[in-house]
Amino acid sequence: MAKSRTHDLLGPAAALADEHLAELRNDRTRLPVLFPGLPRRFGKDPVGGGVQTIGEATIDLDALRVCDVVAAHLVSAIEPTDAELVDLFAHGDIEERAMLLRSLSFLPLGEITNNLLGEVLRTNIVLHLEAAMCDSDLLARAIAAGAVDTETANRLLLKFAFVDMDLTRAFRAEGHASEALSTMLQDLATEREAAGRSVWRHTYRMLGLAPCPGALGRLIGGLEHGDDGVRQAAADGLLALRKNDQRTHSLIAQFAQERAPREPRPAIREQLQQLATN
Amino acid sequence: MLIFEPHIHMFSRITDDYEKLSFAGVRAVLEPAFWLGQNRTSVGTFIDYFETLIGWERHRAQQFGIHHFCTMGLNPREANDDRVNKDVLAVLPRYCEKDSCVGVGEIGLDDQTKTEEKFMAEQLELARNHDLPVLVHTPHRDKKKGFERCIAIVKEANFPMERVLLDHGNEETIKITRDLGCWSGFSIYPHTKMDPARMVSIVLEYGIERFVINSAADWGVSDPMMVPRTCVKLEQAGVPRDKVEQLVWKNPIDFFAQSGRLNAEMLAQPASANLRETFDGNSVLRGQDPDKL
Repeated sequence: MAKSRTHDLLGPAAALADEHLAELRNDRTRLPVLFPGLPRRFGKDPVGGGVQTIGEATIDLDALRVCDVVAAHLVSAIEPTDAELVDLFAHGDIEERAMLLRSLSFLPLGEITNNLLGEVLRTNIVLHLEAAMCDSDLLARAIAAGAVDTETANRLLLKFAFVDMDLTRAFRAEGHASEALSTMLQDLATEREAAGRSVWRHTYRMLGLAPCPGALGRLIGGLEHGDDGVRQAAADGLLALRKNDQRTHSLIAQFAQERAPREPRPAIREQLQQLATN
Repeated sequence: MLIFEPHIHMFSRITDDYEKLSFAGVRAVLEPAFWLGQNRTSVGTFIDYFETLIGWERHRAQQFGIHHFCTMGLNPREANDDRVNKDVLAVLPRYCEKDSCVGVGEIGLDDQTKTEEKFMAEQLELARNHDLPVLVHTPHRDKKKGFERCIAIVKEANFPMERVLLDHGNEETIKITRDLGCWSGFSIYPHTKMDPARMVSIVLEYGIERFVINSAADWGVSDPMMVPRTCVKLEQAGVPRDKVEQLVWKNPIDFFAQSGRLNAEMLAQPASANLRETFDGNSVLRGQDPDKL
């Protein structure tokens, strides 16, 4: 089934991709030699088609390139062992690793998913974080299926914050909010502030979704931040927090009432007015 | 003037060198796989080195706006070493297919042994299989004979001469290579091999067709700025700027473009220099704030 799904996405590349597949079926040890040349032979144009459900996965086809789909087609068709996939990743260049990570969305979840997401965590390359967390719902599915442990998932999301990527790019990232993750994000924010560096603004949103000790204070403080984006994120966080914890309503309302008349941005002011309603 | 430095071992150089090269107009560098100053004892160390050439070193260059390419090969010195030679040859096909690999090299002769000759011939086959040109290291001792032997091996292999760059040439070797149809490389060194003044004389006598110049800078006493320095000397000697530009930009691109993996269009803009990017979690910043550099 996986083969036909990827084959349908190949378009004009199908004939050449099938030649590659025939070569691999004849001698699968050719995989590490064929794999690096896929971007040259098939190009890096986006496949296009927006976000689609393909098999079990939800995939952003605008983020996938023709070479990615060919890579997925080849690896899913020859059913590689975990060792073969690890070898491809370990000795691949940046492009090969991105193709392989995108291919994971077309392969069954398993130990290899956890293994390669762990590699992404260790290597800290933006392209690979995107391939693992933004271009499909791989991480979300892996967590739901227990193929990735919570600790690894939290550390991947923390890395997302560490390299200052946009939370809205990560598939269903808000669904992974937890007190443990919020504590990690809060600690990173504190370290950054001590070093005079900027804080990942989505920290505020995640703290609101799953508060940890100190979250309420940070969120209220965020309303006074000089950066519009941070104030917006703090207001978002407070709205989420208020929704989940009625005990906070009066305290949040008190600060929102005081802040709202001084808020220069209409959109944020509107949120503050909502928060001011106890 | 834009410069393509077609032979430099940046693995052995510091970031100051990248910065100087960038300011001097070097838009791209070619780093041939080579001997690291001492023999390696297992194939694993070659694998790690090859992966540095396509990974960290490429990233380092990009941080300074410089495109980084490489050639992959078993160098002639270690071709003599039976602890590694066959195993290295076995892993090379995978690395010859990497996107930034635009040739096979440095292959060739050093001590001019039979074993070196065998592995040079095998790597010509490797280049043919991967449709790549070859960068040939020529001996520093008994050079003329070494050149002649390298040429004979290329001819015996029936490898196309226009896809061969015979490097480390001088006034003697140009007499042998000028009419062969191959490319001739000249390594400009502070005190040995070839110096800027001698290079000027060669250009004035023979022109620039199928010539490239490089610094071959490595871990020894060498100067990565030798190509820009030679450009100045050439212009001062009356060589027209467009000819100098052909020598240091168009010629190396034309030669390595035979790989089908690079062209002038790709090099029209500097490499993306995003100081926030990391490679394997590592950055050239060593903890410094990217906004303050």
